[in-house]
Amino acid sequence: MRASLFITCYNDTLYPETGRAVVKLLERLGVTLDFHPEQTCCGQMHANTGFRAEAYSQAKRFVRLYRDTEIVIIPSSSCVAMIRDQYPVLFEELGNEDLRRDLQALLPRIFELSEFLIDKLGVEDVGAYFPHRVTYHASCHGLRGLHVGDRPFRLLGKVRGLELAPLENLDRCCGFGGTFSIKNAEVSSAMLASKLRDVLTTRAEYCTALDNSCLMHLGGALHRQFAGMRTIHLAQILASTETEPAEEFL
Amino acid sequence: MSHTELDPRLAPPFPQAALPVLRNPQLRKNVAHATDVIQGKRAMLVAEKSDWQELRSAAAAIRAHALENLGTYLTQFEERCTAAGGTVHWAADAAEARRIILDILRAEGASEVIKIKTMTSAEIQLNPALEANGIHAYETDLAELILQLGKDEPSHIVAPALHVNRSQVREIFARSMGRSDLTDDPQALTAAARSYLRQKFLSVPTAISGANFLIAETGSVAVVESEGNGRMCLTLPRTMITLAGIEKVLPRFTDLEVMLQVLARSATGERMNPYTSLWTGVTPGDGPQRFHIVLLDNGRSDILAKKVERQTLRCIRCAACQNTCPVYRQTGGHAYGSVYGGPIGAILTPQLMRMEHAQSLPFASSLCGACYEVCPVKINIPEVLIELRTQVVDREREQPVRVFDAMYVGMRAASGIFAAARRFRSAQRLGRIALLPFTGKDGWIRSLPGLGARWTATRDLRGMPGQSFREWWAERKDNQQQ
Amino acid sequence: MTPADSRSLILDRISHATQRPGGNTYEHLPRAYTHKGALEPGDCVHLLIERLREYDAVVDTCTVAELPACIAKILQANSKHILVVPPGLDPAWLAAGYDWKIDQDLSHAAIEACDGVVTTAFAAIADSGTIVLHHSAAEGRRALSLLPDWHLCILRASQVVETLPEYFARCTQPPRLATYISGPSATADIEMTRIKGVHGPRFLHVLLVRD
Repeated sequence: MRASLFITCYNDTLYPETGRAVVKLLERLGVTLDFHPEQTCCGQMHANTGFRAEAYSQAKRFVRLYRDTEIVIIPSSSCVAMIRDQYPVLFEELGNEDLRRDLQALLPRIFELSEFLIDKLGVEDVGAYFPHRVTYHASCHGLRGLHVGDRPFRLLGKVRGLELAPLENLDRCCGFGGTFSIKNAEVSSAMLASKLRDVLTTRAEYCTALDNSCLMHLGGALHRQFAGMRTIHLAQILASTETEPAEEFL
Repeated sequence: MSHTELDPRLAPPFPQAALPVLRNPQLRKNVAHATDVIQGKRAMLVAEKSDWQELRSAAAAIRAHALENLGTYLTQFEERCTAAGGTVHWAADAAEARRIILDILRAEGASEVIKIKTMTSAEIQLNPALEANGIHAYETDLAELILQLGKDEPSHIVAPALHVNRSQVREIFARSMGRSDLTDDPQALTAAARSYLRQKFLSVPTAISGANFLIAETGSVAVVESEGNGRMCLTLPRTMITLAGIEKVLPRFTDLEVMLQVLARSATGERMNPYTSLWTGVTPGDGPQRFHIVLLDNGRSDILAKKVERQTLRCIRCAACQNTCPVYRQTGGHAYGSVYGGPIGAILTPQLMRMEHAQSLPFASSLCGACYEVCPVKINIPEVLIELRTQVVDREREQPVRVFDAMYVGMRAASGIFAAARRFRSAQRLGRIALLPFTGKDGWIRSLPGLGARWTATRDLRGMPGQSFREWWAERKDNQQQ
Repeated sequence: MTPADSRSLILDRISHATQRPGGNTYEHLPRAYTHKGALEPGDCVHLLIERLREYDAVVDTCTVAELPACIAKILQANSKHILVVPPGLDPAWLAAGYDWKIDQDLSHAAIEACDGVVTTAFAAIADSGTIVLHHSAAEGRRALSLLPDWHLCILRASQVVETLPEYFARCTQPPRLATYISGPSATADIEMTRIKGVHGPRFLHVLLVRD
């Protein structure tokens, strides 16, 4: 199977190890990956901050780049939610019928990573080994935007050596919210503190998620507080094996 | 608690207004406790309802249909209510609504009124206007009474005093009722409120209420409540005045079979609220013999005209979005500077202000979507928030001040960068260099200047890795080809 | 501006705001929720009793023949002597030895002074434990079931429906007045602690007549 990786702007820039893990994992599962060098950003940050005109141009770019692509894989649920939920509205408002049609044809071929593994490849056991206690943070966009449901849990459940620690108040936001964390920094920090209490209660070694954005937020606070717990994208856990353990930042 | 009138025109921006609350652990504890309790009850009762999603779909469709045909249904309501002996008034804005109500009260020779909890009356700042004209309003809902006696403002649509705990209530009651004997037992406090208000119910001849629903088919008004103070006000006085937003109308009596089911479960986590009252104009021999209803526009027809925003008017004021909102949980309602706090307030208040005030509210959300998920009439609050954010930014575009706003400049610059991969690559390289002086030996950033400082106030930031993903990919491709 | 002007102004704005066609007609609104309950009549009555008791209401049952005696027994057991009743209540139910005040325009103070009130009801909804009053001559005007602290409500088993939509289906005509009572007056305004008995009757007693 051939698929194209839309890595997303912030994974590209800040979390390349997540991208490398996706490559390692999917190639191990027999997927041939492409990477379109012209890709940049899906436009989520601009759309959600009220910069609609700017989001339009990024949405247009995305659809033009990928309209002929067989399968697009995106290791970030919030970017997938942006494309699924907001692109159609943007194009309708823009009145661009061609783009709207292209998007409608493309949407069924766009997958968040856990969706791709379970729905498209039909695998739960990806042959991973990760001998650690892990808690899973459900990002809001994965949970309520994409409705990924138990897919991440099914994948984590098949990772050898992994001990899953359930997280209280799983459905509650970590307080990141993109530019919200800057515009409403104090409120965002209060939400983060409340989420962190639940996360630390799990006594896990790692907190994982489908989105590095939430993990950047949680990880930043864990590091500030010398909490010892680390954050890791789901792709990195799934890519990890006995011979090649997960690649981590420092 | 200091007494500040909730007026979106005067309120500080949300981030600033939230600060005193974030530093008030008692208040945050009260809010978290109350919202946890209601949310838990709601979740239990929604789970037992196998047709919950069908009820939501029906409720959303009924409300949407009523709004699409609002003119028809309002005139039908007017005609039927008038035929049943009611008097219908139309108020284009808050000032007119206040004037109409004052005129009725003057004609009645009223110096006192008893009131059922109505958020709409707080929206039009009715009580201060009445006081200024020598008419004292007695709030009869327990929570509203606590707030009135404590010179406080509502912080929640359904449980307006949820930020006040029992010992604070005791203090307020002891002081204002002269009851130093009171304990902080909720039972005793409730009994004190009962005896304090009993004579008022039996003697004050004029009452003011809000409305949960207006029924076009019959010209009836429905009010839901728990305590019985509503029934007292609706039944015992000589004259009844109801203030209702024009959006409150339902096509038919039968529509209540949907709305009452979703409202009670969403609002208080009950299968049905203890009391629902329905009345039609005046009924000889039963209840008030003079009935006035004031239909309030106050910005609603503007909201109706907008495609995305119209859904805001479907709201039935259940406050489920407030209870589930992770932002509201931290800040409570007062930070929103309006009687309508939480997610629904973040979209409703700026629109009622015609986007002239409260522009910080659409940004007071992490867009987590919890509000949309619980909304019994399926208002896509995140969608409306984004729409309103866009309007705020579009206004900024025309203001010269935009060149000094770091966020605005940054967002514009980022857009230019994302327009071409070549520019994005250069920006990644530049960023790596620019962040280097702030990056510690362990690769983490502990402190940033400017906007970044708002991040690093409470969180570290991982420094930029030496190689971006795209650089790694290109390098790997080169190696494979060699 | 005179009110008449505001009326046309608001209606003009609304008509302008809603000129875009579209949307469902009323007849086509989705209504896929549960309309009819699945319980047998007997189980339905049991569910009602269970729900009423959850709300701390007291429930007794009797047959049609036992009704007058049963009312007297309940009044005696609860030490209620001065009772207000609506004018349409069956005179055969008014047992001797009690002070029955038949509501012919009684003052609020006179109603308030009674130990309790006895009324019938229009229907009851088992699913939510709701007593429905349409305030007919035997159900009494609204003040009657509001001011006394104790309310004895006589309900026939055949009046019990399972779901809220089933009640609406029984309303051939929408009522001019209605009160739906789901448990005694209550508040949770202080720390979400449920307190029974604020302003409405604090004690609800339901007598279910097997008919």
